[in-house]
Amino acid sequence: MNNRHSEIAAWVMILVFLALWELGVRMLQIPPYLLPAPSVVLQTLIANPAVYARATFITVGEALTGLFLGVLAGAVLAAFLTLFPGLENGVMTLAILVKSTPLVAVAPLLTLWLGFGVLPKIIITGLLTFFPVLVNILSGLHQIDPALMDLFQSWRANRWDIFWHLRLPSALPYLFAALKISAPLALIGAVVAEWTGASGGLGKTMWMAYTNLNLPFLFAAILILAVIGAFLYRFLVWIEKRTVFWVQPLQE
Amino acid sequence: MEIEINNLQHSFPGKPEREALAEINCQIKPGQFVAIVGPSGCGKSTFLRLIANLLEPSGGEILLDGKAPVEIAAQRRIAWMSQSPALLPWLTVGENVALAQRFRPQVSQPGLSAEEALRRVGLRDDLNAYPSMLSGGMQQRLALARILTMDADLWLMDEPFSALDELTRERLTIELLELWRPLQPTVLWVTHHIYEAIRLADRILVMSPAPGRLVGDIQVNLPYPRNEPAPAFQSLLLDLRAMLGQVSKQIAL
Repeated sequence: MNNRHSEIAAWVMILVFLALWELGVRMLQIPPYLLPAPSVVLQTLIANPAVYARATFITVGEALTGLFLGVLAGAVLAAFLTLFPGLENGVMTLAILVKSTPLVAVAPLLTLWLGFGVLPKIIITGLLTFFPVLVNILSGLHQIDPALMDLFQSWRANRWDIFWHLRLPSALPYLFAALKISAPLALIGAVVAEWTGASGGLGKTMWMAYTNLNLPFLFAAILILAVIGAFLYRFLVWIEKRTVFWVQPLQE
Repeated sequence: MEIEINNLQHSFPGKPEREALAEINCQIKPGQFVAIVGPSGCGKSTFLRLIANLLEPSGGEILLDGKAPVEIAAQRRIAWMSQSPALLPWLTVGENVALAQRFRPQVSQPGLSAEEALRRVGLRDDLNAYPSMLSGGMQQRLALARILTMDADLWLMDEPFSALDELTRERLTIELLELWRPLQPTVLWVTHHIYEAIRLADRILVMSPAPGRLVGDIQVNLPYPRNEPAPAFQSLLLDLRAMLGQVSKQIAL
C-alpha cells in the first residue's frame, strides 16, 4: 500500500539530485571535461541516437547472452550436484577456484586469445554470473521444509520425484534471488570486458570517450547502463511476483 | 493392518547419546484406532517415525502385517500426517491431492477420487484455491483429504491438530472420527489431549517420560458418540489422569 508513495519519493529524490547537480555545475562553472551537467549529457545522448543504440544493442546482447549461459550452467550444475551428491565436494572446490580468480584480470587474456568480438565478453559475463546462481540454487535445492521432506519420504518418492515435485519448486525463489544479483553483474562483466578491447559496445564507447576526455559522451553511456540495470531489476521483480507467487519477496 | 512391536529401542547419536525409546512391546489389531499419550519429550513422535520408516530403529523389530516397515512403505500402505499440514504452496488444493494420488498403491482398486476426498473434508469449493488462502484448520482438512485419497491401511498421525486453536481442533477431531469410520484403517494417533484420546480411540497407550516405554494400556469400550458427562467417560478420564500424574512424578524425582 506504501508502494505508490515510495515510488513517488524515489522519483522526487532522483529529480532533486539531478537538479542539484545541474545547479552545482552551472554555479561553480565546472568545465564539461571534468563533470558535465545532466542537461549536456542528455543533449549528447539525443544528438547521437544511432551510435548509442548500436552500442547498447551490442553490450546488452553480450550481457544477456552471458547471463543466460551463466544461469543455465549454474542451474544445471546445481541440479546435477543435488541428484548426485557424491560429486559436490570436488565440483564446489573447482567452482570456488573459478570464483576467487579475479575475472577482471582474465578479461585481457581472453581478448588476446579470442579477439575483439563478442565471444570473450560473453564468456566473462557467463563466468561472473555463474557462481551466484550455482550457490543460490544449490542452497535452494537443499533447503527443503522438513515436514515436506517427511511427506515425500512417507510416500517413498524416489529422488527424481523429490527433485521434480519438491526441490525444483522450492529452489525457484532462490533462482530469482540469484538473478537479481547476477543481472547487474552481467552488465558490469560486459562493460569491463569491452574495456580490454572491443570493436563496439557501451564499454568501448566509454573507453573512447575517456581517452578523448569527452565526458558528456562517457556520462551518456553511464546513464544508459544505469537505466538498463534498473529496468532489468524491476523486470525480474515483476516476473518473480508472478512465478513464485507463494513467497513474500524480501524488501530490497 | 496388524502391528507387532518387539523390544523396540531407539537412541539418537551424539555426546552423550540420547535414549529416546527404552523398550516397547505391543500388538495392535487391524482397524484399531489407537491413541498414544505421554508427557512431552517421551518419544511418542520417535515411536511413530520408526513405524513410518522415517527413522531406523537402534534395536528391536517392527512388523506390519508380518513385514518390515520398509516393505509396507514401499507398497505405499502407510499415510503420514504431522502437526504441519505439509502442503505444497505452489499447487492448488486440487493439485495437492492429485499429487498424493501419484503415490498411492497401483495394485489396489482406485481409492477415493480427489473430488470425493475434498468433498468429505468440506473443501470441494476450494479446488482451485492455493493453500496460503486457507485457514490453519482448512489446511489440515486438506492434509486429511490427501490421506483419504492415499488409500493406505495404516494412518500415522503425529499430533495433527495440536497447532490449531481449541475450537477448530475439537471440530476436526470429531471430523476425523467420521472420516475414519467408513474406511476403518488402523490408526496410530499421537496426542497430548487426553479428552480427545478418550473421545476417539479404541485403545490408549500411555508412555513414560524419556526414555519412553509403555506404562499403560487402556481399552476404551464406549459407544460413539462419547460424551464427557457420561460416568464411564469420567472414570476413564480419572484413570488416565492418575496414570499420567504418576508418570510425571517420576520426572520430578
